[in-house]
Amino acid sequence: MGRQAVRLVGLVAAAALAAAGCAAEQKAAGGGGSGGTPGVTATAIRVGGVLTKTSASGYSTKDAEIGARARFERANGAGGVHGRKIEFVGAEDDNQDAAKGDAAAKKLVQKDKVFALVPVHGPNFGGAAFLEQQGVPWFGWATGPQWCGTRTGFGYNGCLAPKPGAGSQTWWGNQMAELLGGSEGRTVYVQTTDSSGSKYGGKTISQSFEAAGFKVVGINSGLPAAAPPPDWLPYVNKIMTSDGGKAPDLVVSIIAGTKFNVGLYSALKKAGYEGLLSDATSYDAAILKDQATAQALEGVIAAPMFEPFESDAPEIAQLKADVEKVAPGTVLTQHLAIGYWSADIFLKVLEQTGKDLTRERFLATANGSFAYENAGFGRIQYPRDHNEPNGCGALVKLEGGTFKVAKNMKCFDNVPLK
Amino acid sequence: MSELVGYIVSGLVTGAVFAVMASGLTLSYAATGVFNFAHGAVGFLAALLFFELNVGFGLPAWLAGLIAVTVFSPLLGYVLHRAMFRGLAQAGETAQIVGTIGLTIALPALGLWIVDLVAEPLGLPRADATSLPRGLGPYPPVNVTVAGVTLDSDQLLTFVFAVLAAAGLWAFMRHTPYGLRMRASVDRRRLATLRGIDADASSAMAWILGSTLAGLAGVLAVPTLGLDSTAFTVMLFVSATAAVFGRLRSIPVTFAAGLGLGVVQNLVAGYADFAEDVTGLRTAVPVILLFAGLILLNRSGERVAGSAAEDAPPPDYLADLPMWRRRLPWVVGLTLLLGWTLTRPADDFYVSVVAQGLVLALIFCSFVVVTGIGGMVNLAQASFASMAALTCGWAFSAGLPFPVAIVLGVLGATAVGVLVALPALRLGGRILTLATLALALLADQVLFQVDAFSNGTIGWQLPAIGLGFADTTDPRVRVVLLLALIGLVGLLVRNLERSASGRAILAVRSAPAAATTSGVSAPRTKIMLFALASGIAGLGGVLFASFKGSVTATDLPALAGFVWLAVVVLQGVRRIGGAVLGGLIAAIFPELLATWHVSAHVGAILFGTGGMILAKHPDGVLAQMAEARYRRRRRRLERARAAEIQAEAASNGAGPPPGGRDTAAGVPAGARGTAAADAASPVGAAVEAGEDSAGRGALFRLENVVAGYGDVTVLRGVDLSVRPGEVVALLGANGAGKSTTCAVAAGDLPVTAGRVLLDGVDVTSWPAHRRAREGVLLAPEGRGVFPGLTVEENLRTWLPDPDPVYERMPQLAERRRIAAGALSGGEQQLLTLAPALIRPPRVLIADEPSLGLAPLVAERVFEVFAELRERGVALLLVEEKATSALELADRVAFMSLGRVIWTGPRTEVDETRLTAAYLGVSR
Repeated sequence: MGRQAVRLVGLVAAAALAAAGCAAEQKAAGGGGSGGTPGVTATAIRVGGVLTKTSASGYSTKDAEIGARARFERANGAGGVHGRKIEFVGAEDDNQDAAKGDAAAKKLVQKDKVFALVPVHGPNFGGAAFLEQQGVPWFGWATGPQWCGTRTGFGYNGCLAPKPGAGSQTWWGNQMAELLGGSEGRTVYVQTTDSSGSKYGGKTISQSFEAAGFKVVGINSGLPAAAPPPDWLPYVNKIMTSDGGKAPDLVVSIIAGTKFNVGLYSALKKAGYEGLLSDATSYDAAILKDQATAQALEGVIAAPMFEPFESDAPEIAQLKADVEKVAPGTVLTQHLAIGYWSADIFLKVLEQTGKDLTRERFLATANGSFAYENAGFGRIQYPRDHNEPNGCGALVKLEGGTFKVAKNMKCFDNVPLK
Repeated sequence: MSELVGYIVSGLVTGAVFAVMASGLTLSYAATGVFNFAHGAVGFLAALLFFELNVGFGLPAWLAGLIAVTVFSPLLGYVLHRAMFRGLAQAGETAQIVGTIGLTIALPALGLWIVDLVAEPLGLPRADATSLPRGLGPYPPVNVTVAGVTLDSDQLLTFVFAVLAAAGLWAFMRHTPYGLRMRASVDRRRLATLRGIDADASSAMAWILGSTLAGLAGVLAVPTLGLDSTAFTVMLFVSATAAVFGRLRSIPVTFAAGLGLGVVQNLVAGYADFAEDVTGLRTAVPVILLFAGLILLNRSGERVAGSAAEDAPPPDYLADLPMWRRRLPWVVGLTLLLGWTLTRPADDFYVSVVAQGLVLALIFCSFVVVTGIGGMVNLAQASFASMAALTCGWAFSAGLPFPVAIVLGVLGATAVGVLVALPALRLGGRILTLATLALALLADQVLFQVDAFSNGTIGWQLPAIGLGFADTTDPRVRVVLLLALIGLVGLLVRNLERSASGRAILAVRSAPAAATTSGVSAPRTKIMLFALASGIAGLGGVLFASFKGSVTATDLPALAGFVWLAVVVLQGVRRIGGAVLGGLIAAIFPELLATWHVSAHVGAILFGTGGMILAKHPDGVLAQMAEARYRRRRRRLERARAAEIQAEAASNGAGPPPGGRDTAAGVPAGARGTAAADAASPVGAAVEAGEDSAGRGALFRLENVVAGYGDVTVLRGVDLSVRPGEVVALLGANGAGKSTTCAVAAGDLPVTAGRVLLDGVDVTSWPAHRRAREGVLLAPEGRGVFPGLTVEENLRTWLPDPDPVYERMPQLAERRRIAAGALSGGEQQLLTLAPALIRPPRVLIADEPSLGLAPLVAERVFEVFAELRERGVALLLVEEKATSALELADRVAFMSLGRVIWTGPRTEVDETRLTAAYLGVSR
């Protein structure tokens, strides 16, 4: 390298150092500032959401927008909260891309001047650091660690990615034990994919089943993370011999994606598996439309984290009526329920904050031993549930091509995550 | 039946899909030289159509499959060929790679967008993760037990179709004229056109076939993969591994490797439990194999460096402008940007978007270094940025001061860059690109999955950067800081280009062998480039993370590098300006689309289809603007210059050339030495006379032809004519323009001015293959055979039935199954000319036919020419060695410095004239 070039490289490095500065401390910018609370007028509160509406993998949470809108419309129909109507500007699409999620959050706060982000629902949401730094509240499904330990991120059923030592759910195992009439002597096999996120899920869920008294005979994380394997034989062989050469009583799949689960279950059935199957994502009415999928999933016990739509609880009847009003004929989905209940909790906090609304006061209310119970999602307590899940869930079973409530929503005590 | 056999049988079945996909990849690469990264995307589109036809419109699966595979896929292949691949084949390697990568983004987005648009009105199912495509077989699938392994009907069908496709492909390539033409074009494209094979049509055929295979693989794979375009891209990488094991040439080996991959994946899944602790290792098995295959099998002998001579930098179109005028647009732009930024409030959204764009611009500057200057396409840039950000976060959370953490991050990326550079030392072009891709995926799937390094899915928190008086939580500060850093990088790049190392880089890039012999260390230069580029990308990555406040392993996925590269190269990768523009566009454009409520798919389509622009303008939009300005003025100049040369050719001839008063143009040199014209006539008259007398009998004529390569004019007004049954010998010293004359005559090189006439018809605009079909055959310099084809196949490229050749030349009959490349030089020359004996062309142009032949063999070659003359063929014989040509010739033309300086009957050629022509003392 020429001498001049060397000098320049040095210069750039020096500039980087200088840029980093001697004092690299971070100033808390704070949200409101002078000139009133952003997004709040005497008659309206503006909110908007960030969802993964489209993504390369096809995963989409766009229905959460309908759910939130339905809940806000009902609140507005009842005169709003303390005389202010909710002005819902809709949801941005983050394409399951962290950087785009960050940009979307900035756009909502800086350009659209929203008061809070509701609903936020994307597996890869990237705006957490910005919102926390700006003190902007955000409500949604806290599946990722970016939600946890914040003061502004409110998961509708708590933080689902607790750190080791924090509380971890036991409801799935306990509900299953109640459904089966006891866990004594029953064996469980947990299947995850080969990524650190899925492995983490495998850890918390096998702990849930152990806490409920099941014997976990295997946790396998061999499935390729990128795409379903073209051949399930090796994975199925492992499962079929995991319980001392026999098949286990229950296989729990921690894989998002119907294609994965349908593939796994079909292959298991092909190999003669007769035990139970359970997962978190198969509770989806769209699945039933397809005959082969419904057949593959027949008998599966899905574990939604909200009261099933088939339930006769009045809260569910209300949800259905609200949705029917804003979007007649909508098929009810998991994401819709998440949007709806996130909006519901947001409204509850608004109501408790009172007439004098600023972000600081809102956060102070929400984080000052806020507790709220609802049959739709169980219960929620902040600040506790900033760090751990609310511990509630239900079970539905696919029987004869329709979903039936196996266990209604119920809450159990968390245990510390190992 | 043991478990192991089960895994193998079952693995072969699933490997069939890889095999089909990889065969298409190899086929289109071998036939056109373009490695199609979008091969998986084509499969995805076919699968999408199949799904919508089958599930949406309710067509039976077999019909939907038939339409998707045999109607839609070939059509798509043809359209892509016309719109893009045809241009890309000539556009240089960088543009090829980026163009097809752009398609990988654009095609799935296009399909999904169309489905989005029509789903509602037509009541079609949407194509997302909830869609459940079915297979080609019975629905639901039926289980069958084969050799103790339970397979379902879809798996069996997949295997059967793969075998049928392989057999069909083999039969097509070996036993049809189309296959033969395609293989001939692959073997020697230029020669194929000279034999009347439309190489363009062969490429179209290759793309149609390749696309059909991709479509078939897509339809077969969709029941297991689902409609997930990422999954199809992953499948492409696996298939690329198979293709690499087939060395991107052999379809049978590729096919076998595809089957093998299926087995290997099963064995790893079944037995490699020890790998469980390393997250991602088993997912990454195909990637690891890809990397190993690239390193072991592709120690390319011919192309050593990440460098291609045809990828030479374009001329500086603005060189004639004063410095201030060149910089003016940038200075104005920068001033406007700064002025606007500083007048906005601190929490302004658009300023933060611009800041984001500038972060990307800084990262993109690394492309300028490695691709723009170094000529190597690196797909791992996003991984470098990610690496630096994660290292910085890790160091900072370990308690180190932030500035130290930043430096560590940048150093970490630099170190990885050097590691990546190591394979680059011996790989070149696409192979290097694939290797960087493999490393990027490996980083994503294994390295960034290490919890201790990336802190799981939580990632690391990073503070803002404080400058003492302000910090980067204010986007305005970010904009100013980034502009300063980009300016520094710009200076660095400029100095690098002008320094000794810059010249070394250029030397290594354009001629690696020459550079090495001149003592320039190619490895050192390349390592330095990679280190510098990854350092810049690393700095960008750290800033990206710091401005965002946190970094996780998934923030900058490897696939983001695809989009980045497409955006930068589209703007122009050779200048920092292109990187800055690219960064700003990448950040601002999606925001604008969102504001206008346009689907995000549209953005992806627009970014991706940039590849089509690249096919025409490989140096990007910025260079394109300068070039357009240059061309407008240039076109006028060029026309004027060509006319000037033509006029000069005429007037120069007016003076009496030494060695005789004969003139350049067609002095009516009658056959067999019946010289006629008044040797003293001035040129103007001679040309007219030529038109009157020689022109009358001439079958083939060049008229005042001006032609050359790029800015170099070689032919400066050539007039030449040949009559049926006449041999014209074109003689001249090395560099006189003889071979260029041949190329122009055969249509291999376009003319700038002048005409080419065949039997009175103006054929100037005809391409080479059309001229060949009309009877103008060029036997090019060196041997005019396809070395990779057998003797029989070589003959078949010109003759429908080669048997008469065997009767005349028994020694060729004995070797009909041998590859032509294995014949001796003499046999090769006979093989070149033999077809002409059986099916004589109207005009035969032979360029140095006796070069490198033993005297006895050369004699036989000249016997062939004599026979052809008897049969009425017009022969133009180009020779550097005059003696034997003179024996045969009826008429002789001497060339010097791009002009025919004397034409006349052989009888008038004497020692003086010869000496004058060869020693160049004629003028």
